[in-house]
Amino acid sequence: MSNLATIDKFENVQIGAAIGPEQMFLSKEQARRYARACGLDAPRFTDDEGARKEGLPGMIVPGNMSLGLLTKLVTDWIGQSGARIVRIGTTYRVLVQPDHTISLQGFVTHTYPEERACEIDLWIENEDGERMVTGTATVQFPR
Amino acid sequence: MPTILDLHSHSEASEDSRAPVEAYLNWIKLRRQHLPLDGIVLTEHRQWNPDSDYRALEDKYQIMVLKAAEVETDYGHMLVFGVNDDIASRFDFANVYLPAQELIDEVARMGGIVVPCHPGRPNVGLFEHYQRKPALDNVIAVERLNGGSRKGENERSAELIAKFGYKATGGSDSHLVSLIGLCATRFEADVKTIEDLVRELKTGNYEPVDFRPKRPQVRRAEPVEESEHRG
Repeated sequence: MSNLATIDKFENVQIGAAIGPEQMFLSKEQARRYARACGLDAPRFTDDEGARKEGLPGMIVPGNMSLGLLTKLVTDWIGQSGARIVRIGTTYRVLVQPDHTISLQGFVTHTYPEERACEIDLWIENEDGERMVTGTATVQFPR
Repeated sequence: MPTILDLHSHSEASEDSRAPVEAYLNWIKLRRQHLPLDGIVLTEHRQWNPDSDYRALEDKYQIMVLKAAEVETDYGHMLVFGVNDDIASRFDFANVYLPAQELIDEVARMGGIVVPCHPGRPNVGLFEHYQRKPALDNVIAVERLNGGSRKGENERSAELIAKFGYKATGGSDSHLVSLIGLCATRFEADVKTIEDLVRELKTGNYEPVDFRPKRPQVRRAEPVEESEHRG
């Protein structure tokens, strides 16, 4: 569980509310362990030298790991409210490399009162403020 | 009266965006203090829909919604403003290899204007194409500020503008609601219609404007070289 503010019920969801930012240092060992746990035991995810042989600048973070980190940002925000993520999607714009500090951030952008749902923008930034991974999620709250 | 427009945005009509137009307008309305926009221009990828009508939303939010298109050419991506039946019949916007010079000249002849976007971006920007092909004729303006640019891309666009004397625009290239309007273009003149916009892009005074919030410095970690030896 992170130190992010959480939401307790749909009635308190506000368009424009920020989720995060949450900064974290993403180590090579974390990326390597994630890759192995997912059966993605390719050099690009585990080894700088092997990644370079594939034409990459060095080890990269598996796309599913980026998706997982953004998913966790949302589930941390949902907290104990009973809400659930009904959809999440990401676009990979820039290679995410480990051994860097990344920032995870989101904004509530739209609400659907009849469905007690909201739409959230999400992204992962690098130290230069480049949005490496962007996405959106739909969260639905219980009645 | 000056007019500020985000000249480059994508709604859910583009395959890589989920942003409803209404959510864009609501976002701008809520953030008016930071986003003093008069309107947005929807530049959906590789398409032109003459039937989409946003007048009710314009009235509801008091924000102008104009329509253009982003197409793909042999010199990279370009925004087409002032699309009309003649232009839509003359070019297949779904064609990802549109001939740029022909597009620029024909769109101008038929009453519109083509503005190359994110020219500093690798592969899809004018800058890189100019490294290996002759410069295009009759380019009036290019997108100097693009909200989706990576480090160095907007700087390459500025270099191109300085070299060729192009006019400069700005647009967010937003695919997410919360990114709308972060880069835009300020026109000296009143712009109320797409005809006004085309006229001003061709002959008027304008400049890109940057509404991106200043972000705190993030400490850069030093990457550690690692090579895994497999036994």
